[in-house]
Order: sequence, then structure tokens, then C-alpha cells
Amino acid sequence: MDFIKKQFGKIKDLFHFNSKKEVVDFIIKLFFLISTIVSASFIVIIIVFITKEGIKPFVTDNGGIGSVNLVRFLTGTTWLEGTAFKSNLYSVGFIIINTLYISLLSLLIAMPIGVLTALFIAKIAPKRLSEILRTVIELLAAIPSIVYGLFGSGIILVFVYNLAKVFGVQSPGGNSVLATVLVLALMILPTITALSEVAIRSVEKDIEHGSLALGATKTQTNFKVVLTSAKSGIFSASILGIGRALGEATAVSLVAGNARSGPTLSFFQTTSTLTSTMLQGLKETTGIDYDIRFSVGIVLMVVILLTNAGLNFVKKRIGNVHVK
Amino acid sequence: MINNVFTIKNLNLFYGKYQALHSINLDIERNKVTALIGPSGCGKSTFLRCLNRMNDLIDSCQIDGEVLYHNDNVYNRNFDVISLRTKVGMVFQKPNPFPMTIYDNIAYGPRCQGIKDKTELNKIVEKSLKNSALWEEVKDRLKDSAMSLSGGQQQRLCIARAIAMEPEVILMDEPTSALDPIATMKIEELINDLKQNYAIVIVTHSMQQAARISDNTAFFHLGELVEYDKTDIIFTTPKEVKTEEYITGRFG
Amino acid sequence: MSMSSKRKRIDNLLQIITYGAASVAVIILSLIVVFVFKNGSGLINLDLITNDYHAQYYNGGIENVTSFSNTPKPNILTEEDYYSLKWGIALTDDIDREGKPIIIVSYIAEDSPLYQMYDKNNLDNDSFAIEVENIVQSIKFYDKDSTLSIYGAQHMINELDAESEFREMVFTSLGGGIRGSLITTLYTIGLTLLFALPVGIFTAIYLNEFAKKNRLTNIIRSMIEMLTGVPSIIFGLMGLAVFVPLTVRYTPADSANILSGSLTLAVILLPVIIRSTEESLKVVPDDFRFASLALGANSTQTTFKVVLPSALPGIMTATLLAIGRIIGESAALIFAIGTAIKDDISIFGKSTTLAVHIWSLLTDEPANIELASTISLIILMIVLILNISVKLLSRSYLKRV
Repeated sequence: MDFIKKQFGKIKDLFHFNSKKEVVDFIIKLFFLISTIVSASFIVIIIVFITKEGIKPFVTDNGGIGSVNLVRFLTGTTWLEGTAFKSNLYSVGFIIINTLYISLLSLLIAMPIGVLTALFIAKIAPKRLSEILRTVIELLAAIPSIVYGLFGSGIILVFVYNLAKVFGVQSPGGNSVLATVLVLALMILPTITALSEVAIRSVEKDIEHGSLALGATKTQTNFKVVLTSAKSGIFSASILGIGRALGEATAVSLVAGNARSGPTLSFFQTTSTLTSTMLQGLKETTGIDYDIRFSVGIVLMVVILLTNAGLNFVKKRIGNVHVK
Repeated sequence: MINNVFTIKNLNLFYGKYQALHSINLDIERNKVTALIGPSGCGKSTFLRCLNRMNDLIDSCQIDGEVLYHNDNVYNRNFDVISLRTKVGMVFQKPNPFPMTIYDNIAYGPRCQGIKDKTELNKIVEKSLKNSALWEEVKDRLKDSAMSLSGGQQQRLCIARAIAMEPEVILMDEPTSALDPIATMKIEELINDLKQNYAIVIVTHSMQQAARISDNTAFFHLGELVEYDKTDIIFTTPKEVKTEEYITGRFG
Repeated sequence: MSMSSKRKRIDNLLQIITYGAASVAVIILSLIVVFVFKNGSGLINLDLITNDYHAQYYNGGIENVTSFSNTPKPNILTEEDYYSLKWGIALTDDIDREGKPIIIVSYIAEDSPLYQMYDKNNLDNDSFAIEVENIVQSIKFYDKDSTLSIYGAQHMINELDAESEFREMVFTSLGGGIRGSLITTLYTIGLTLLFALPVGIFTAIYLNEFAKKNRLTNIIRSMIEMLTGVPSIIFGLMGLAVFVPLTVRYTPADSANILSGSLTLAVILLPVIIRSTEESLKVVPDDFRFASLALGANSTQTTFKVVLPSALPGIMTATLLAIGRIIGESAALIFAIGTAIKDDISIFGKSTTLAVHIWSLLTDEPANIELASTISLIILMIVLILNISVKLLSRSYLKRV
């Protein structure tokens, strides 16, 4: 206690405080400031540490295997695990393409369905029904992705397997591009619907009335004016959706099939994404198979960043019509 | 009689249990500007919205009586609302251009009617913008967003949008209330030009505006039509005490 | 007129497409919930929650049986329960959580000679005893073939009843339970909130009450905001690279552990907590602050006594949402807690939360969909309850204001 009192005194003298109350005040404020600095520093910590681990495979010789060639890493078409194959032939080029391909396809499925559902909820459904549906969609958006993964392994894999049979294709247990796309589309559907619904609901009544007063039908108004006015919000919803799709790991890893080469464009063949690749070889705690996960992590972050930047650019271009 | 586009007979309107309009009887004449004046909440805007059935959008709204548009009651069950609204255009209190290009705003109505021909649309856009005195200001930037226009320009764009449908009547709901004096003046000039081709019904809270631009004036008070006559008569020798009190500024 | 009929057709078509899309969305998404309920509800019971995941194996021996049971078959047992009067034990056929046939002990008489069995693996084990709900794998005799669980309960009872001694009875506890993962989840929730709530709330207070409105504050704000765009697997990597080594160095832990997992989750939750606390701080009218300051309270006193209590509903909401997120999180924890399903839980040891438990079950060969669905059902119900509470909370809060 004495020690603390002495420290108090010191701080008091040092900063010319008038009372003990002011010292307490100062210390508490200091706590707030430290908390804030800690909170803000994590983004830096993430970037620094993942980069630090992630560049190891390229700059060290990885315990005799030899360093990984960066260009081949970014452009190659096969992924050979180092410890198993004694190789440094890791490539994520095809995995990047797989990831973008799958995310884009899932957005192409989820966006129209989500936007139309949002339109239905916001503008067409009777009040009671729309309230119920809005709640249901919000709750579905809160379902953890692992549950979507479970649904994927329990239902979608079987469905895709049987569908492949109809087309005369042998799909390995249903693990495929199609299954992954469907799981992701389902997963992002509630998010896109909920956000688009908000965007559509906040379109001003005036604009809608303007269209109706010109002799447009309710449906014409909905499709030509309401959706156009909500465009920017809908686009933001889609950007968020594709961000989720790119970063989703566990659900995807259960249905992708973890292909080691590619890219896979055919719907019924196994595939792999950046995230599913990161979930491979979990048992390693050191060595190249451990480090390489961080390298893939860097690639994932860069892919997400670039996709976001690209989509925001497009949003600005097509959304140059300013919506209040 | 032949010159009337609208004949309103014994119109009552309810919002739920509240009666907003009491037995209104009124004729709207062709090629004339009819001003609806009265203190706020008197039912003038509500009445205006009966003419193109925009009140349909309010769930609790019920209507009794007849609104005859060329002898057809617009509230008949099988009356085609959509085609009514193409014949009776409307301009709102606040400019409400769609978040599209200027061109697309004008072409919106015709396109909704199924007109796709590019040259025809071009012609409509040019003509509408010329008739609404906006052409000179925007002809080089038709592909710009309508949101980039000033408030007054936006309102004239909305008038142009209504004109593009080649309506017979244009309803205006306090079209200048959100605009500055210069923009207001331009709109008033425009209204003066437009009446050669259209019947215009305008709700206004400015008596000066009503006096400046209208041929006929209807004075509403508490949901009732107190007096309806030629504008100069209303403003110089009103028959009703209420009207006189209002236009001399004693209430409202 | 043909124009308007064409328009009607297009309108109808668009309308049908909209209705169709909405139905597809709602039906398929509801199907997920139905699937989880249908597959998961079969296994859900109290045993699942209280049992260990890993079955314990026991080898019981018995010699020189002195007295046999003479309890008659109790009435509570049904036709399905096969009873041996001599041994005082009833066995019944069942299937385990992976759908394989097993034989379960459904009743043991108090005077059963089986209580005289001793643990062949550990002769000093006094607590060793067969219990109801144990699974009997096999009984090995001295002079004839063993009876195995694949022959069914009836066969096993008949074989046993014919003998007055046996060489060995192999039985196991039920296993497949989620007690360990449940405890891990609770530990994780507690620890994560312990880390994230103070830091988050303090940050929100600093940003909203004390920070000057300048560029630096904006930069700090956007640095925190950036965390929301980072996928959870990346947080997992950070946990692996930062928190796992930290905890290994300063605690008894020697690998990924509950502590490192909780720290990782705390980082994920920080932006959520900061944002909703800040939003509720913003709603507190400045008049409150001025009134307090005018009464001679200093700014921290004002913050703790006036501002923070008013922001409590917002913090509650954030906490509930955070719990939901912790329960559902899988990708980050796979790295930061590990994927080994454990029964003995220590905050310095590896284990799985319920969500990671599901992932481990699904990546096993063959995947155990049934049990995974049951855990999903539990998670779904918790998340549902949390979200409904948030709705009610914010509604009652809105009413009050």
C-alpha cells in the first residue's frame, strides 16, 4: 500500500496534480487510452505477424527442402505438400482462380434471389408477412457458418453426387465446385437479403409515387425505379457477401474436396480454395507446411483487398447516380 | 360543359374514421389553371390526389362520390387507373427525379408504355425538355445524372417528365414550395406557357402565386369547398366571409 | 391495347419471378433448420450433455462367485430387455451415436454377482463397477467361444446365463457425449468476454468521450473498423502466431489452448463491442454530461456514474451478440484452440468448442452427421434465443427512451 501511495505522490508531483482525485482521474484516462491503443494495434499485429511467418518459405531453405519460388507460388497449378513429397513446389495460382470463380458463382446465384426476396419483403408482401419474413431472414443470417457446412455435407453433397450421376459424371462423394458454390450461396443469401431489404425500404416514397403518377404499374415501379434507387445499397450488400464468401473457411473445407491441382472450372470436379488449403495439414506445428499457411493467408488478404477495391471502383462507376 | 375535363360530384373522403373531404362539387376546365388554396390541412392536397387516384396508395383511405373524367367515373371498379395516370400527370411538392440520367428520367414514362424506338424517344425527350424550358440548360448533358441538377431544374425536369406522357391535365402539388424565388418565377412562367395545351390544377399555399397564375381559384377550409370562382372574383369580391378573411390574411 | 396486354404479361412474369425467388430463398433456408432438427433431435438428451466424448474401456474379471442373484425380472423392464436371473443383469439392443448396433446394460440388480468383478487392468481400483448405460462389448468364457455384441443382447444373456463364471467382460462407458466441448465453450465465452468487454468498452469510452475530433482519432477508428473486414481464419492465423507462443511461454500450456483461443476471439469481437457501445454512448444526451459536470464531478466520474449506466442496454446487446459469435466461431478456433476433442478440460490445454467439435466430427472418416446435427441443434437454439433476446432488449429499450 505504501508503495502505491508513494507512486501516487510521485505522479502527483510530476504532473502538478492538485488532489488525489485528479490522479485517479488521470490514471483512469490513461487506461482508456491504453485500451484504445491496444484495440487499434491489432490490425497492425495481424499484418506484421502473418507477413513475418508468411515470407519464411520464400526466404529460408525450409529445412533442406529449398526456398519456395514466389513467382511459381503465385502462378503455378499444383500444390505439393513439402514434408510429404520433399518438395518446395507449392502454388496457389490455381487456388486463387478457384476461389474467385467459386465466390463469383455463388454471388451470381445469391444476389438475384436475395435482391428479389428483399423486394418481395419490402414492397410486395402484406405487412404481417413481411415482418415475419424479415425476422426469419435476420435469424438465418445469424446462423454460424459451420451449420451451413453441416447442411453441405449432409444434403448438398448427396444432391450433387446424384445430380452428377444424372449427367453421367462420377463426382467424388459430391465434393465439387457445385457443392461449394451452393453452400456459399446459401450462406451469403440471408446477409444479402437483409441488407438489400434495408436499402430497398429506405428508398423515398416520393420517388415511387413519381413513377406511379406517370402511369407506371406497381411492378414497373418496383423494378425500374425502386431497385435503381436502392442500387448503391444492394451493391454494398453484394460486396459484403462476396467478402464473406472469399473468407469462409470451415463450411467450404467440408465440401470442396481439396484438389491439389487445377484450376477447376468443371462443376462436378473437386476444387480447393485459399481457405480450405489453409485448413490442410493442421498437425504441423513447425516447418514449411506450418509456415506456408501464413503465406496463403497473405494471399487471401490481398485477394480480398483487391476484390473490394475493384468492386468499390465499379460501384462508383455504375453508381455515379447519387442516391440520397 | 364540353370544356370541362373533370367534374367532381359530391365527393367525400375518409381516412379511417376521419372525414377529410365533405361533399365537394367542382369542375376543372380545359386550358385553364385552377388553383386550390386554403390553410394547411384543409384537404386541398388530398383533393388533388383524388384526381389521379394517388390516394389509392393509402390503405385507410375510402372515397364516396364521383370524380368524372370526361364523363367516366375514375373510381368505377373497372376504370383503368394506369391509363388515367398517363392522361393526368403530376408534379410533387419536393422535386423527385429518379436516380437516373436526365434522358432516362424523361423517357421513363414512354418506356413504361412500351415505346422502345430510339428516334421516337429522342424526339419525345427533346420536345418535353423544350416545352419545360429546360432544353437549353441540359441539352449537352442528357447523360448526366438528374441528381446533378439544381432544385429548380429538377422540378422543371419533373414537369418535363410529366409532359413527356402528353397528358391532358397536369396536377401540381405546391410545386414551388421547396424552391428559391428565381426558380419559382421560372416555374410560374412555365405554367403560364403550358396552359395553352394542358389543364393545370395547382395546389399552392401562396395566395400571390394563385393570383398571379390561375384563372380559377377554389378555396378549401376544413375539408369543405367554401368558394370556387374566377380568380379575379375570388380575390376582389369574394362572396363568402371565410374566403375574404383568408385572403386578407386574417387566418391561415 | 396490345401494348398494355404485353405490359401485363411482362408484369406478371416479373411478379412470378419475384414470388418464386422469395419462396426459393425462404424454403431452402428453412430446409437447413428442418434438416438440423430432423437429424439432431434424435440424440438430444441429458446424457449427451453430461457424458464424456471418449468411451472408457474396462476389462472386468470374476473368480469364485460365492452367491448368485435371486432378484426376479423387474416390471419396469420390457420384452426388449433380456434378463439373467442368475447374474441379475438386463441387456438391451441399441444403436450408438454413429448408428452402429451396441448392447446396453439396462438394469443391474442390487445383489448382482457382477459387483464382485475386479478391474483386470488396475487391481487396486476400488471404484470399479459396471453401471446401467454401460455398453457391453464382449464376454469371454473359459471353455467356449466368446459372445460378442454383434450377436445381439439375447444371445449374450443366454450364453451368460448358462455359465457360472467367465474369464473377462469387456464393457465401456457410453461416450460420444459433449460435456467436454460444452465446458470448453463456457470457459471460452467467459474468458473472451473477460478480455474483450473491458478493452472494448474502455476504447469506446475513450473514442466517444475523451478523444479529440481530429485525424488521429479518425485513423484509430478506421484501424479498428478494418478488423471487421478480416476473415476469421486470418484471426486464427494471428492467434497461432501471437497468442499461442505467448501462452506457451508464460503459462503451463504447451500448445494451442483455451486461453489462446479466447484471446483470439476477443480480438475478433473488439470491433463489434466497440461499435455498439459507442452507438449507445452517442445516444446519451449531452445534457446529462453537462449536468453532472456542473455539479462538480470530473469527467471520469461523469463517465462512470452518468454516461456508462445509460449505455448499459447497448453493452448488453453487444455482449449477447458476442456470445452468439463465440459459440458459432469455428475457423479461427481451429488454429487457436485446436481440433482435439477432450474430456478433461483445462484452460491451458487443447480442446474443442461445440462449433469446432462439429468440424472435427465432419472431417472424421466417416463423418458423424447425426451427432454433428445434434450439436448444431444446440448451437442453433442458443443463437436463436440470443437473437430474440437482443430483439426484445432493444425493443423494450426503445420503448423506455
